[in-house]
Amino acid sequence: MNDTSLTSTGVLGLALRPWLSRLKAQREALLLWPALLLIWQLASYFTPLGANPLVPSPVTTFHALWLSLPELWAGTLSSFGILLPGFALAVLLGVGLGLWVGSRERVGRVCLPFARVVAPIPPTVYIPYAIAILPTFLASAIFVVFIGAFWPIFQSAVAGAHSLDRRYRDNARTLGLQGLRYWRLVLLPAALPHIFSGMAVGLGFAFILLTVAELFGANVGLGRFVQYYADFADYPRMVAGIIYTGLVTFLSMSLLEQLRQRLLFWQRR
Amino acid sequence: MSGLQLHELSLSYGEQPILERLNLEIPEGQLVSILGASGSGKSSLLRLIAGLQEPSQGHLHWRGQPIREPSPECGVVFQDYALFPWLNMRDNISLAIRQVQPHLSSASVRRLADGHLLQVGLGSASLRYPFELSGGMQQRGAIARAFALGSPLLLLDEPFGALDPVNRARLQDVLASVWQAARSAKTVLFVTHDVDEALYLGDRVIILGSSPGRVIADLPVPFNRPRYRQTLLASGEFHALREQISDLLVADILRGLSSTRHSELSS
Repeated sequence: MNDTSLTSTGVLGLALRPWLSRLKAQREALLLWPALLLIWQLASYFTPLGANPLVPSPVTTFHALWLSLPELWAGTLSSFGILLPGFALAVLLGVGLGLWVGSRERVGRVCLPFARVVAPIPPTVYIPYAIAILPTFLASAIFVVFIGAFWPIFQSAVAGAHSLDRRYRDNARTLGLQGLRYWRLVLLPAALPHIFSGMAVGLGFAFILLTVAELFGANVGLGRFVQYYADFADYPRMVAGIIYTGLVTFLSMSLLEQLRQRLLFWQRR
Repeated sequence: MSGLQLHELSLSYGEQPILERLNLEIPEGQLVSILGASGSGKSSLLRLIAGLQEPSQGHLHWRGQPIREPSPECGVVFQDYALFPWLNMRDNISLAIRQVQPHLSSASVRRLADGHLLQVGLGSASLRYPFELSGGMQQRGAIARAFALGSPLLLLDEPFGALDPVNRARLQDVLASVWQAARSAKTVLFVTHDVDEALYLGDRVIILGSSPGRVIADLPVPFNRPRYRQTLLASGEFHALREQISDLLVADILRGLSSTRHSELSS
């Protein structure tokens, strides 16, 4: 009995060890959060800032956040209904076209000058046009998210294909790897570090464009939530919406980072 | 005509000549060591034979066919291992097996890959990734992959250059034994900086002079096989041959130095 409990404690300890050691390594960074909250709370008690309705105290804000959770959850589902298809399409086309353009000299010569002109156009300027020409708000919002994420991913895939190590290319050639097998076994894995950098930038852009697009025509969504309560001067809910959106963005970026670490395990040396 | 033929082969990068009018005939089944100082174009020569590069002039033929691009007829082991780091050792080897035997079942490919790894002493490392292995183990993996391709022509570009002496000797023995097992079926060109290694492994030593690279000597190695390191190193004939090769290499380096000084003075 005693042995069993010792064993389970040991197993639990082993399972928690990496998590605890990571927590230990980041304790200074983690301490910043309660410190900032304390400063915020104290400022709202002891300075004129507390009397300003534009700056609600942390307690008020978190109470508003708690009350708004069902609405925010519905907003999250709606926002992800736009973000996921737009981002997935950007990854699919950005990686596919980027690797194609980056690995074929002639195609690159034709397409890259065009990309250099079009890519820097701020994606927000497409929003009114997309709303005008596409039949529904959903389709235009997905298009805008797609455009925002596409170019960074495309450019990183081109860079990944360009920087393919000569050793890998020579090896692939001497082994006779061609076509889809070459793409799957050599080109794509070798370009993945670049592609993930582009995906991180693209995801950041996708969130920005998602919230901006929602300001234009959505009835529900994270950006819409913040705008709606700002219109009614309900600043506790508005700040709660900002904090919640930040958290969702952070979690999404963390998930992407987890995926990156998992797929690029071979970079650990 | 069988074997490898190089006829008036030249290579230059822009104005810079790398190889100049190389003429060589290498019959099938020979293990040929290629020696030369840095800059003598040894690696460039292997790239030309592998079909990774086109010559500026001249022709290359393997088994009577011109070499224009890489083919499964020719396996290459590069100096810097160059296994794919995202594949484990078994998958790296399987890649080569699937290229030449695409219809084999997965189980057969796995069995064959593990057999090749066992042959180079990596039987227990089949599920490990290159970054988890030492340089010596990675290089053995690269050799196993080249053998798995089953190419009748095998090019090795200073494959043991970065290894410690113990692993180097071990891999030399692995290469010699695997080549001997398939003697008449495998022609090997082995680039090295090490005179002892060239003599221990080669049937023949080709010495390339530098600036530009050209054949300055083509010497047969008269030692019987199997060769035993200790016996060979103790033999007078080995020492005489080593001396002769070292003299040729030193003379080439001195010639290179004096011509550099001459061109500096005249400019």
